[in-house]
Amino acid sequence: MKTAPRADVAALAEAQVVDGQLFKRALLGSLSWLGANQEEVNRLNVFPVPDGDTGTNMLLTLQSAVEDIRESEAKEISKIAALAAHGSLMGARGNSGVILSQIFRGFAKHVQGKSELTPAELADALEEAANAAYRAVIKPTEGTILTVAREAGKAAKAAADDPKARVNTVIRAACKAAKTATDKTPTQLAILREAGVVDAGGFGLQVILEGFLKTVEESEAQAPASMPSGAPKAAAAQRNLELPEEGWGYCTEFLIEGKGMNVDEIRDTIAGMGNSALVVGDEDLIRVHVHTNEPTSVLAYASGVGTLARTKVDDMSKQHRVILQGEANGRAPERAVASRPNGIGLVGVVAGGGLAGIFRGLGVDAVVEGGQTMNPSTQDMLKAVEAVPYDEVFLLPNNANVILAAHQVPELTKKKVHILRTRTVPQGIAAMVAFNPTRGAVENLAAMVGAKDQVQTIEVTHAVRDSKANGVAVKKGDVIALINDKLKHSGADYGSVVSLALKDIKPDEYELVTVYRGQGAKDKDLKLLTEAIGRDFPGLEVEVQDGGQQHYPFILSVE
Amino acid sequence: MAKSGFRVVTDSTADLPPAWREKYAIEVVPLKVLFGKETFRDGVDLDSDQFFQKLEASQQLPTTSAPSPGDFAEVYQRLSAECEGVVSIHLGSNLSATCESARLGAESVEGFPVHVVDSRSTTMAIAFLCKVAAESPDLAGAVSAVEARVDKLGILALLDTMRYIQMGGRISKIQYLLGSMLDVKPLLKLDHGEIKPLDRTRTRAKAIPGMIQRLKEEGPLESLAVMHGSAPADAEKLRGQLRQEMPGLAIEIGQIGAVLGTHTGPRALGLIYVKE
Repeated sequence: MKTAPRADVAALAEAQVVDGQLFKRALLGSLSWLGANQEEVNRLNVFPVPDGDTGTNMLLTLQSAVEDIRESEAKEISKIAALAAHGSLMGARGNSGVILSQIFRGFAKHVQGKSELTPAELADALEEAANAAYRAVIKPTEGTILTVAREAGKAAKAAADDPKARVNTVIRAACKAAKTATDKTPTQLAILREAGVVDAGGFGLQVILEGFLKTVEESEAQAPASMPSGAPKAAAAQRNLELPEEGWGYCTEFLIEGKGMNVDEIRDTIAGMGNSALVVGDEDLIRVHVHTNEPTSVLAYASGVGTLARTKVDDMSKQHRVILQGEANGRAPERAVASRPNGIGLVGVVAGGGLAGIFRGLGVDAVVEGGQTMNPSTQDMLKAVEAVPYDEVFLLPNNANVILAAHQVPELTKKKVHILRTRTVPQGIAAMVAFNPTRGAVENLAAMVGAKDQVQTIEVTHAVRDSKANGVAVKKGDVIALINDKLKHSGADYGSVVSLALKDIKPDEYELVTVYRGQGAKDKDLKLLTEAIGRDFPGLEVEVQDGGQQHYPFILSVE
Repeated sequence: MAKSGFRVVTDSTADLPPAWREKYAIEVVPLKVLFGKETFRDGVDLDSDQFFQKLEASQQLPTTSAPSPGDFAEVYQRLSAECEGVVSIHLGSNLSATCESARLGAESVEGFPVHVVDSRSTTMAIAFLCKVAAESPDLAGAVSAVEARVDKLGILALLDTMRYIQMGGRISKIQYLLGSMLDVKPLLKLDHGEIKPLDRTRTRAKAIPGMIQRLKEEGPLESLAVMHGSAPADAEKLRGQLRQEMPGLAIEIGQIGAVLGTHTGPRALGLIYVKE
């Protein structure tokens, strides 16, 4: 049935349910509202360092979620939510972005099989989304986006208990609670209290909910009262996919090669035979991934559609790994001949031509642009992991804000991916120096982790805003030094600030300082800095390398 | 003059301690070291410390060349008048043409038994073989004692810089270490004439524990020496650490000569051992 979108939305608002199209429009509303508030969110950064900003990261994550649904005409909320979850996961950047993607994932999982949500169901889904986000984080911290998500979910549940509850009252309650929770974050996190700001990620989520509410209320306000309630009910034939997770025992994957295949039809059929179904491709080649109790039935159906290739059935009780293949594009993966004896590929996240060259020189096969300026998305890293000609890959995030997004990569690929939790560029270099291509993964991981933990990092930059963090008060423009990612010193010139930082890390225990010179670092500043080290710490050898990184004139590795 | 017993001949790459040379009357045939147009006889015109001084001062890397067959023939000829035979122990044939020269030189001295032994190793690993040979009762015993130990030789080398080995060209096996803009300090193992990379580190302090650990993994040792390229204090310190780990084992200290030093560069440390 064809209806004008506006009327359709109005009808749904009247019917007091959220279906796929309303959800899609609401997310578009969230995206534009977050876009409008991006700078506001960015300004909440606690640290005066010019790092990847929370607002930008969340916006890019949400953008990636919306990209996947923009073209979809699906009426079922389950479909739109699943697309959004997938898109956000692929585009997740920064810690808040990754948590946002987990919220989408939890939501999508909860609404699986549903074509629309009543206010009560919507509230349940919001609450479940928050729970899922908590579960996804290894050490949940209160006073962050997690707290805001949880409080919003709780408030939505409470509002839905009102017999007169409508979609907009549920969302409004969630928004209000999100704001209250965001405002309270400084009481939960000392670091926010000190800086006098609320949590940026929490605020970002609040903005997303507000954008959602705007859309819902707008469509309701514009719904003519006389509009007949003609919203199509969900097809009765819709299969109920809400079966217990443990009932889906086999992760089944294969390619179907054929001619003129109907991807949507095949997707619907296969989705009905299991869960976590991902059916992507085109008329000639389709990649299927599904969790099912009866892999043989799925394979029997698929072999009637085309020719099967690369069939793989894994017992999930043995190995619980969800594999979503994002971009099949019908292209069989090219396989270069692996030349490294241990068959391990190396991917590093790094910005700056000099640093990229250093990482490559040490053996990194693929460099993902990013780090201090722009946190790369999960998808950026996934692409690099897929591109290296090895089945086992070590991924070095080299930045604290990239680690969480990197941790999403292993479950998106068939490759075995190990994340080295390198928080800084010097840690990444130290880990790479310790890599030995003649040794196996276990031995290398031990050596690399040991090496990264032995190096001290001093990052030197200018404060981009007035701030107070870790008890250090800084004025915009001050030279500041971060030791191992924590703001420790500020001052007027590079030499004195670096000397203070070096004193902190017991220089007697080290012998070498490598100075990675950033973009725009002046010769005279470099001279001041190396002279200060030579004068104050004669026992330390100094080596200067061209790093080419932005924003940080100098990054020092002390080892 | 009555001929008696046998003699041991080696080349300058054995880095033979002067005391052993004197005690066992071991003949040392020098390789040649060329700095530009200047030619030096390794260990004769140029000792280890002088060499490393020149190496660091020189714009150009030196080259080295094996003794000629004639150099060996001359020594064998002379010894043929003094003793009944020679065991001639040399730098690994996969590293240098020295063994080949010795063989050719031996062929030219007819009727005089010369057993050329390819150590497949270098520096004091060869010196240890020379000592074992010299302490044997007769030529046959010396040859079998030496040959039995060729497979038990090992070298761990910690270079202070990649620069020299990179330019020296003996690097195919350690290619992965190169191409780095960072000056890494590689720990290498010379095993049956093959150079294998073990670890790389940015600082010496971090490399030493790994080096000791690798040595311990080699099992019980018959002999051990710490070699250095103009870094006596570091070598003494390493010996001190090793004495704690391996009480009861005599640990020699030796200096890396010019030929090996051309590839290792200054401040290299080596552990040379003969396994039990």
